[in-house]
Amino acid sequence: MSTPAIEAPARPQKPRPAASAYAGLLAAAVGLILFFLWSSTSTLQLDIGVARLPLYPILGALGVFAVLALCWRARTGPLTALGALAVIGVTWWGGSGIGFTLAPLWEDFDRGWPIIQEFLDPSWGFIWRVWDQWVVTLAMAVVATGIGCSVGLLLAMLASPVSSPSKPVSQAVKAINSVIRSIPDIGYGLLFVAMLGGTAAGAGEMAGILALIMFNIGIIAKLTGETIDSVDKGPLEAADATGSTLLQRDRIAVLPQILPGYSSYSLYVFELNIRASVVLGIVGAGGIGSTISVQLSHFNYSNISAIMIALVIVVLIVDYVSLTIRRRIT
Amino acid sequence: MIRFSNVDVVYPGGFQGLKGVDLTIDKGEFVVIVGLSGAGKSTLIRTINGLVPYTSGELTVGDEVVDPTSKGKIRRLRSSVGMIFQSFNLVTRISVLNNVLVGRCSSTPAWRSLLGWYRAEDKELAFQSLERVGIVDKAYNRASALSGGQQQRVAIARVLAQDPEVILADEPVASLDPPTAHRVLQDLRRINRELGITTIVNLHHLEMARKYADRVIGMRGGEVVFDGPVEEATDAAIEEVYQRSLTAGDAAPESAAH
Repeated sequence: MSTPAIEAPARPQKPRPAASAYAGLLAAAVGLILFFLWSSTSTLQLDIGVARLPLYPILGALGVFAVLALCWRARTGPLTALGALAVIGVTWWGGSGIGFTLAPLWEDFDRGWPIIQEFLDPSWGFIWRVWDQWVVTLAMAVVATGIGCSVGLLLAMLASPVSSPSKPVSQAVKAINSVIRSIPDIGYGLLFVAMLGGTAAGAGEMAGILALIMFNIGIIAKLTGETIDSVDKGPLEAADATGSTLLQRDRIAVLPQILPGYSSYSLYVFELNIRASVVLGIVGAGGIGSTISVQLSHFNYSNISAIMIALVIVVLIVDYVSLTIRRRIT
Repeated sequence: MIRFSNVDVVYPGGFQGLKGVDLTIDKGEFVVIVGLSGAGKSTLIRTINGLVPYTSGELTVGDEVVDPTSKGKIRRLRSSVGMIFQSFNLVTRISVLNNVLVGRCSSTPAWRSLLGWYRAEDKELAFQSLERVGIVDKAYNRASALSGGQQQRVAIARVLAQDPEVILADEPVASLDPPTAHRVLQDLRRINRELGITTIVNLHHLEMARKYADRVIGMRGGEVVFDGPVEEATDAAIEEVYQRSLTAGDAAPESAAH
């Protein structure tokens, strides 16, 4: 039994890109390789038996030709292929500019080996000796999450055109949020440690909490703001149609819709705070990071190793708990 | 009473939603608006509660002229004009009762709304509204747990909680199956009769329009092209509104179908 053939015009083939365009791309590739040869300042050589070739330009050339061949084989449009070439070119340029190589990893292995040995022999007792610092770290994370997420929610509401009182307010608050977000956590850490005096002056925890709060506001305002942008507008229209005010609409129609996302981001921010407080401690804000900083200055790697292991366990526990809660609420 | 006199609506993009609409709708009437998609039915309904501001002419609801430029006046108007939507527009994550209480917003102080702490008399009104549409047993269920027909009845209860003088319904049954659609329209009709609330409904289904309406208004290209009691809305009259045969599937529309 055979099904009758369907009368239809021939199916189109995926069009082959123009050969002339690829000739142009080939020229661009050759130009790129010449640029590699000319701009490379590295003296690293690749020994292939018969000759020694400059390492970086050869790697770049291989990458360029491989990408071009792949694109031709997959019938990729010339514009996409040009994009791929550009990616290779920029990556090569960046890597050779800073002399990127993995060689020190094995060449200097002997020097690193004693440190690794110490790391492999953590002093377990040390974990318990600094338990008060762990409590401080957790307390900092809790306080910062609470305050940071509350302020972040307010700023997100003001920033999103959906829930904001007016367009100028929305744009102004968006700009403020961008500025807050553009400074990294360690930047805030250095700032507040300088202002308040850090661990040495007994204000490390306060500086750390303030830094974490700013860090949290940035993240929460961004993520929650985007969630507000994408809520179902139907209930908002319904609230408007009953004659409710903006505040009532935000509370009744917007907040219930963003609550799962917002709670999930808040838990995520709490996880981030545990991790971030390590780095903040090193610049002088309190918590477990300051302990690491002290041990590092004493070259006490087995103590640091113990803290690192404990940190991994704490972060895993917090991750797991918050994941479980997040699953429940979404 | 709702009175349109020479009302135009021009959207910001330049599209003319309503052209010189003259219309008077008396208290307690049950009016169904028919017309093809894009004929201006939604615009007409949304002009009445200011969701779409009209650009010229004059519109009065009750004794007040609708003033789209005054937020406070529009809010006061909306507190007595309830609206029902095609997609129900419930907040699906909160309870049915809390959805109905949204209808009490305009007479609830902001701090009560913020805390979600409603007055006992508002709750009583919400329960009465739910009883009127027959789903009071679902009061503490999440709105998302209800079927489409039930959700639309919650939306009707939300409107009733406003204690409105006018109910606007924009395609209230377009996403419901026929038996459920009839049930919802029967509810609206009954409420219209029992409470004397002026009701204006957009409908696609001609048979439903004929079954429930007192008066039919036909629209095409933003203009009112038919207006009369339901007995006058014959097939011929409606074909005139649509400018095409009621049964032809492929008839090319001459105009109005955007």
